[in-house]
Amino acid sequence: MTMRASFIAVLASGLLVGTAWANPHRLDDSLSHTVPPNVQMQWLPLKSGQQYAGGMEAWVRVNIRIDTRNWMGRSGRIYMVLPRDEASNIEAVWTTQGRLQPGRLVSGERTLVFAGTIPGATLEDQMQVRLRSNADWSSNSRRLNFHFELDAD
Amino acid sequence: MKCNLRRITARQAASVCLVVLVCADIVAAHAWSLGVTSGDRRLFLHVGNGAVSGSSGTLNGTAGTSGIVNTVQVTVPVAQLGNGTALGMTSDSTQSVSRYGDGNNTCPTPSSQVMVGAGFRRNGGSNSATLTVASPASRVNASGDTIPFTQISWTVSAPGSGVPNVIPAGTFNGGTQTLATLPGNTYIENCHTFSYANSAVRAAGTYSGRVTYTLASP
Repeated sequence: MTMRASFIAVLASGLLVGTAWANPHRLDDSLSHTVPPNVQMQWLPLKSGQQYAGGMEAWVRVNIRIDTRNWMGRSGRIYMVLPRDEASNIEAVWTTQGRLQPGRLVSGERTLVFAGTIPGATLEDQMQVRLRSNADWSSNSRRLNFHFELDAD
Repeated sequence: MKCNLRRITARQAASVCLVVLVCADIVAAHAWSLGVTSGDRRLFLHVGNGAVSGSSGTLNGTAGTSGIVNTVQVTVPVAQLGNGTALGMTSDSTQSVSRYGDGNNTCPTPSSQVMVGAGFRRNGGSNSATLTVASPASRVNASGDTIPFTQISWTVSAPGSGVPNVIPAGTFNGGTQTLATLPGNTYIENCHTFSYANSAVRAAGTYSGRVTYTLASP
């Protein structure tokens, strides 16, 4: 191995290790969209003794399309993330068509939706998402910016 | 990603690649996003008969009114005219089951009771809703004779409730009086049983008047 080749090999291995160190990796799912694009929460019953009693809920369909072309063949775990946007929590519970995993997520957390080898250039699925919250928002409208991130092995 | 290492030092190369990696993460920062608005502010008031708003206590139904204007009445026997013994009034209400959605039999004898319930739904904030009742000064008969509305009082009850007097008992004052204040996302309800004080002899006739309950929020 020449001096230059060994340097390149060292650098390349350093980049690979750096990739794992740099977890998580934000994934591009800009082709995802919700139906409808905006939703209004509906009141839940006032009965006490239930979670989110007196709170609100909404349902939305999300067509997911995650760009994974840079990670094809790599192994890792993909999480859906809901950054905290205000003190009042939002809970999201979803089902899927099977490509991604169903799950539950609360503001400020992330939940696993895929584990294994990235199979192709995109990961697509359709989620039915139920959103719930208490009636303690600091405003009458808010924007929820979900995203996906990868922990590469 | 391709790094050209021929004309730059190792440190420079690492720096270039690092910058590109950082940029790649920034470029990929797209995500699904959803605009969400809170539930509409809702006021719900029922006095006597009326339809529930929404299912199972959501108070989320279509805005509007329903039901009849209920009547409470009493006939004073001649032998008891003005003797100062209060007489219970009957009601044409048939509403016995709570509008809260829990199936509670709040007014087990609606023929002598009127169910009064109020609910307020809102997101955040500290605004409250206020339940008031307004009564005219007097009831009037066909001859123009009057009986003060202050002759009519009510007691309250709510079997199965831990707060049966959540709307308190009282006496009409011939004006507007506040009955209760509701914080957001609360519902209050109980039964009102009316009585006529019968404290003076009145001219013969049928005296009538209407009281109006109002729930309002800023």
